[in-house]
Amino acid sequence: MKLIYSHLQKFLPTLDINPQQLRDDLTMIGHFTNYFENIEDEIVFDLDIKVNRGDCLGYYGIAKDLSIYYQIPLITNISPEIINQDTKILPIKVTTDNVKRILAVKFSQLQNTTSPPWLIKFNLCHQTKSINLIVDLTNYIMFMYGIPSHAFDVQKSTESLIWEMNPKYQEFISLDKTKLKIDKNILMINNPTKPLSLSFWGGNDCAIEDNTKEIILEMAIYNPSVVRQNSRQLKSTTEAGIRLEKQLDPDLIPLAFNHLCKLILQNCQGQITSAFFDYYPQKINLPPIKFDPKKPSLVSGIDIPKDFSLDCLSRLGCTISPTTSVTPPSIRPDITLEADLVEEVVRFWGYQKIPTNQPLSYKKVSDITPKEIHLINNLKDKLKELGYDEILSWPLVNRPSDPATVITTQNSINTESIYLRQSLIPSLKQQLDQYQRYKLNNSQFFEIGKIFSKDQDGYQEKNSLCIYHSNPQQLKNDLQYLNLPNNSNDSSFVEIIIDNLPKIDNYQPKIDRQTAFELTSQIINLDANVLFDSIQDPIQLINKYSDIIGQKYLWEMVITDIYQDTKNQKYRYTFRVSYFNITDKLAKEIHLKTFNLI
Amino acid sequence: MDQNLEKIKSEYISKIDAITNDTQYEQVRVEIFGRNGKINDLFSNIKNIDSKLRKQYGFDLNQLKTELENVLKTKNKNKLEIRNSKLEIRNSIFSLPKIGHLHPVTQTERQLNDVFLKLGFSIYSGPEIVTDEYNFERLNVPKDHPARDMQDSIYIKEPEYLLRTQTSTIESYLLQAHSHQLPIRVAFPGSVFRNEKVNRSNHFIFHQYQAVVVDKEITMKDLIGTMDLMFKTLYGPDVVVRYRCKYYPEVEPGVGPDMQCFSCHGVGCPICKYAGWIEMGGAGMIHPKVLEMAGIDPKIWSGFAFGMGLDRWTMAQKNIKDIRTLMGGNLAYKPNQP
Repeated sequence: MKLIYSHLQKFLPTLDINPQQLRDDLTMIGHFTNYFENIEDEIVFDLDIKVNRGDCLGYYGIAKDLSIYYQIPLITNISPEIINQDTKILPIKVTTDNVKRILAVKFSQLQNTTSPPWLIKFNLCHQTKSINLIVDLTNYIMFMYGIPSHAFDVQKSTESLIWEMNPKYQEFISLDKTKLKIDKNILMINNPTKPLSLSFWGGNDCAIEDNTKEIILEMAIYNPSVVRQNSRQLKSTTEAGIRLEKQLDPDLIPLAFNHLCKLILQNCQGQITSAFFDYYPQKINLPPIKFDPKKPSLVSGIDIPKDFSLDCLSRLGCTISPTTSVTPPSIRPDITLEADLVEEVVRFWGYQKIPTNQPLSYKKVSDITPKEIHLINNLKDKLKELGYDEILSWPLVNRPSDPATVITTQNSINTESIYLRQSLIPSLKQQLDQYQRYKLNNSQFFEIGKIFSKDQDGYQEKNSLCIYHSNPQQLKNDLQYLNLPNNSNDSSFVEIIIDNLPKIDNYQPKIDRQTAFELTSQIINLDANVLFDSIQDPIQLINKYSDIIGQKYLWEMVITDIYQDTKNQKYRYTFRVSYFNITDKLAKEIHLKTFNLI
Repeated sequence: MDQNLEKIKSEYISKIDAITNDTQYEQVRVEIFGRNGKINDLFSNIKNIDSKLRKQYGFDLNQLKTELENVLKTKNKNKLEIRNSKLEIRNSIFSLPKIGHLHPVTQTERQLNDVFLKLGFSIYSGPEIVTDEYNFERLNVPKDHPARDMQDSIYIKEPEYLLRTQTSTIESYLLQAHSHQLPIRVAFPGSVFRNEKVNRSNHFIFHQYQAVVVDKEITMKDLIGTMDLMFKTLYGPDVVVRYRCKYYPEVEPGVGPDMQCFSCHGVGCPICKYAGWIEMGGAGMIHPKVLEMAGIDPKIWSGFAFGMGLDRWTMAQKNIKDIRTLMGGNLAYKPNQP
């Protein structure tokens, strides 16, 4: 969400904080601000959208938080109240209880034109396309207060608007001419003969155009669950929908609607030609919450004065009774528990005041570590000691091992891998193929992970161990050493269900730091023959030349041959050096230099 | 021994007996044990032997090889040390010992386990196929709650069964199972699933680490201090971490730890998306409703929970650029380097 500094100051005229500090403060009090940038001489902040704070999807809600944090005044009445003496009643009907509040009024003799430069710039900063003056003003108010509004061209829509669940229509054409298939679960605004709008998206049939003279302007709030379901069902996301699917404040509508009407009168001329239609069947009354002013200190672990707590909640708009039961303002329906009030107090007091150097100290509590975790960690350590490398593979696979018991995912977007694996062996075989593709030989590796199946009792998952060794005999020996059942059948792969093994107690995992590498090219093997006057210690030679080559490109070095040349009384040592993540040319260069072969 | 092999053995023993100088010795040695020598030739033909006889034939061939090696060895004792070494080298090459490795994600998990074991934590695990109730509802995310958008789930049987989207799901099972064994201190690594296309930067599976404490008088100070200890263990004593207010449905108050960007040191760069900070996970005091749903009285008990992703940190530590490398593929370990 974008936030223009100068427009924020319309609600907070005394706000005078440098943008970097403002960005950090917004973030610290819960409005994560990624960055700010300069667009057309405006400082524009980029904020993440909070899923639980509908009030913060507009400048007003953010400004309200900042006014508490900086203890500066919040100006709510930006626009003076409109005195409307027209008494004509609009023939609007509401037939669904999914509407929380509607304010509507008719304008006539309007002159709809292109938007003034300030509004075009506002749209630009909000990455919104400018349509025409009336539409741009409705969008402006949506961004300022977080409440969407909609204008109907009366020539097309008539005055007889009906808020209802879709009575009969099968198709709806949106403002951008998208055709949507709709059913009875869709909340709509219609007239008696045709569909006009969805709750979160205007329709093409009553769109405002440059020659529009008469409009019905409405601002409404709905049951957020219904808007959300409709938006998901129709796979459509709009700026209005993002806001209307959150809990918005019906009591904020008059302020926002008055501001919008004033802007339309100022910019589009015309006049109001109906009474205000106000549908508000059930006023919001948030229940009081029992609040202990000591609680913020008890929860945070630091001293937060009682006076600060009460003052903070008061500035937030809460009503505080002498018995310290606290009633949140209608703009904050997210506050329902004492814990919510505590968070408000602590965030305005400042999370940064909580010390970071006082961790929990050791305390003896029940060890509830399951035995299979000890066993798994123990097996991993022992396999590592035997020279095996651990790998991890995809639990989703493209082919079932046993179609009768395989579990299939329903909506994986990775369409080739939709089955939960029933064995680790195919995954390890795939890993071996991959290593061979990289010409990485003599690998021995294992994986411990879940395997899945279904039976009459439901879905089953078990911990499984799978080991690969190129030498089946060695694998047998290792299984024997590990005291594991040998069902390898002379294969290089063996899989053992860990959950069926006896458990091992009193295991504490060892901690070690090791190195793993991302191979970006094939291993390059180069040989070198080096003559010596006497017999050498092969390990010392390997260490010596390894040090010369360095660890950056050296994968492995072995001596493959030692030969005594009796004629010259020399000993010839043949080295095979494997280089990795390096070009052929550079590998040869290093190789020739290391063994003095140039 | 196979008759044919017996015949070959006699033939070569005669040849070895007839050797009188080094040149002849070398010629015979190469003829028997050279790259294109008789023994290799016989081994390469083993595939043509009837499968029923192959095992015995292989055994006989190895016996023949050993016997001829011994005859050569006794023929020229002066050459033995080198020649014998060479023959052994053919079978077991001189190299540094093979060292096994734990997966980098496991290594990171172990580092974290070490921090928490010292504080008296248990290590825990949980199912990967879970129900909506444990993945969402018991974490204070009712149906149709906007917070469900934060995670795109992979369903087994919509809407009831899915692959867990977060390690907090393990917390749901843990709190319910141990609500009568309080206090508890538990840490759990685990893989989690999201419905993401797999590419260089995204994966449908990734790894998280979570810690949960339920006790009397647990505070945000305990939470932030413990998290800071963990970050200092992972990233070193000079790491700068800030703890800000952040929304998660399962905690209240919620905490978002951010690490100052290691690349730009807070100035702003593409790595941190110009924020100067990198989000490190989520945390907070366990929501009273979550405790209540597990049968724990929030008036008596309080607790904290925090979780963090392991993949990004592990990738940065190992200089891995492609997240797919962590799950199969081209992750490899130097055979001789710990």
